[in-house]
Amino acid sequence: MSINHSKETHYPAKESFLSSFFRSLTEEIKAALVATLWFCFLTLPLVCFRINANTQKIDYLWERLPKVAIIAFVATLIWRFLRKRLSFSHVKDTLDEVSGPPPDEARGPGGSWVTYLMAAKHKKLYAILALAFLVTIPFWVSPYVVMILITALIYICLGLGLNIVVGVSGLLNLGYVAFYAIGAYTYALLNHSFGLSFWICLPLGALTATTLGLLLGLPILRLSGDYLAIVTLGFGEIIRLVLTNANFTNGPSGIGGIAPPGLFGINLNATVKPFLVNLHLMHKDMDLNKVLIFFIMLLMVILTIICVFRLENSRLGRAWLALREDEVACQAMGINRTKAKLTAFAIGSTWAGLAGVVFASQITFINPSNFTFMQSVMILSIVVLGGMGSIPGVIVGAIVLTLLPEYLRGFANYRMLLFGLLMVLMMVFRPGGLIQSTRQVYIHKPLENKEP
Amino acid sequence: MSESNNQNPQTILELTNVHTFYGKIEALKGISFSIQEGEIIALLGANGAGKSTSLKSIVGLTPPRNGRISFYGKDIRGMKPENLVEEGIIMVPEGRRIFPALTVMENLKMGAYQRNDKNGIEDDIEYIFTLFPILKSRHKQDGGTLSGGEQQMLAISRGLMGRPRLLLLDEPSLGLAPIIIRIIFDTIKKINIEQKTTILLVEQNANLALMVAHHAHIMTTGTIIHSGTAQEIMKDETVRKAYLG
Ligand SMILES: Nc1ncnc2c1ncn2[C@@H]1O[C@H](COP(=O)(O)OP(=O)(O)OP(=O)(O)O)[C@@H](O)[C@H]1O
Ligand SMILES: [Mg+2]
Repeated sequence: MSINHSKETHYPAKESFLSSFFRSLTEEIKAALVATLWFCFLTLPLVCFRINANTQKIDYLWERLPKVAIIAFVATLIWRFLRKRLSFSHVKDTLDEVSGPPPDEARGPGGSWVTYLMAAKHKKLYAILALAFLVTIPFWVSPYVVMILITALIYICLGLGLNIVVGVSGLLNLGYVAFYAIGAYTYALLNHSFGLSFWICLPLGALTATTLGLLLGLPILRLSGDYLAIVTLGFGEIIRLVLTNANFTNGPSGIGGIAPPGLFGINLNATVKPFLVNLHLMHKDMDLNKVLIFFIMLLMVILTIICVFRLENSRLGRAWLALREDEVACQAMGINRTKAKLTAFAIGSTWAGLAGVVFASQITFINPSNFTFMQSVMILSIVVLGGMGSIPGVIVGAIVLTLLPEYLRGFANYRMLLFGLLMVLMMVFRPGGLIQSTRQVYIHKPLENKEP
Repeated sequence: MSESNNQNPQTILELTNVHTFYGKIEALKGISFSIQEGEIIALLGANGAGKSTSLKSIVGLTPPRNGRISFYGKDIRGMKPENLVEEGIIMVPEGRRIFPALTVMENLKMGAYQRNDKNGIEDDIEYIFTLFPILKSRHKQDGGTLSGGEQQMLAISRGLMGRPRLLLLDEPSLGLAPIIIRIIFDTIKKINIEQKTTILLVEQNANLALMVAHHAHIMTTGTIIHSGTAQEIMKDETVRKAYLG
């Protein structure tokens, strides 16, 4: 609830929401007008000025302004309406609580439908059904969809890795893409120069990224918060600049002809594919190497989820949580802060390295522009949008953020706008992320049983 | 408050001429005192006297530059905080510092971070719920949503979960209502008697601390200027007027 809405919290709860909204309608309209003016002013250069490439002069497109103003006004009104409803329901909740549920149940607004489904009893069955469904996907979709899904899976991996660093341990890392790049370049270079295979490079890429994570972790041990963010941001840029300017990485032109992962030396496209296509079990343009990558990624994501889940509920995971919550208290608990920070950094980077190797094998041609700051932002958005520290959240976040741009291609110019809008809406309506993090809940049984 | 039933009290902690610096600022200018097993010792003094710094020096958060700190005869100066927790020296930091986004139960478990005895941990949680029943009814609630008093109870309980041989409490009465302070100090006394836990208590509120402590030291600007039994200090009008207000 923002400060300028605090007045409304005093309205009696019996008054209906709509009547309270219309009572202050003039105020709302005034506020929306101000917002519209600001919006028009700020976006003026974007909306109304355009450099004409032919004449090298600026074209003024004033006729666009009213349209933008109307849209902005209506959007603001709707926006305020929604926000008000949100705060209104909050007030009602608090009023209910006084007489309502016992204090035992007072653990945040956790009762959403998502958490309900997640907590459902048939978890195993769900998992098996979902897996069976996922495995069949390459057999009935187009090659294009397989490519997008591989990307989504890679981002799930990246998101889960970064989640350890940012979500669980609370270390804001804005240079995560550097470790992704390191993984990709490890494979590209080793494959290019020494002909090493994907399967050898997968652990090597992970190892390189982990080592680099440790190396970066050491000097920044004393930093936290904003300073940490800035240093990691710089680190990401340094890596990118090195990749762009070094000779051995082939500079900005990148490395091409990276081999796809092999499967016991079988040429899948020559042997297996005709068979599958004849049976109408596969799209005729499908590249079976990509299908293999899809399965590798699927397996990797499953292993990652298991790993991350176990880590989070381990002693190390608890140390990370304590580190995020309060560094002094963390030390007072007897937790080695240095070790907790370093391991978070290093283990988080491991997954970026793994994902990087797969990425290189998927697109077979990489250059430094694949690894810009925007990528770091994208991965961070996945973690934030999905829900910091929440594994299902990160998965949903990754899927939404990789699939959404694909489906928004039709909107071309407005894509980033919608993307931003989504983020803003989320911040307001689900500040904890799409699926808020719930840790394994410890319930105290012995005493509860004794209660009458 | 009598030590007569304790024939041969063992010195568990001994500070000798401890100097601690924050950069160039000398916050502890050579302090010395010792604690006997089973005692409650109060460290009193005005703001900025160096009480918190003394505690942080003992637990290794601000390692002293010179001097000697020994715990059961072992030199512990320069040891890492996590190793000192292993030794059984546990501090409940100033301003509570519970983990706000973790539940009460998780906070308690975090206090037992270095322990592996599942049953022992369960037993200790039982015990803590008898000390502070309110925590039991709040055990699923996030630490950050507790009231100030409940948070202080949780902070002390979290410290107890580490099975301290020496418990350091930094201003447990900070910002709390008289009734809550009462409960907390009663419990401190109770822990000392029931668990035989030795306690070093830092307090602004001298009268309160002297009520539960056996011995007390009064600090001003980095030095201990007066020591004695709690009764002595309580009776000594000049000391009380001069340093304790
Ligand atoms: N991190 C720090 N950096 C520099 N100086 C510090 C730091 N912490 C404490 N000091 C200084 O050391 C001196 C002792 O501080 P300390 O926190 O030990 O006082 P205190 O007796 O606990 O006071 P209070 O009752 O207000 O908590 C003060 O002069 C303080 O300014
Ligand atoms: Mg202090």
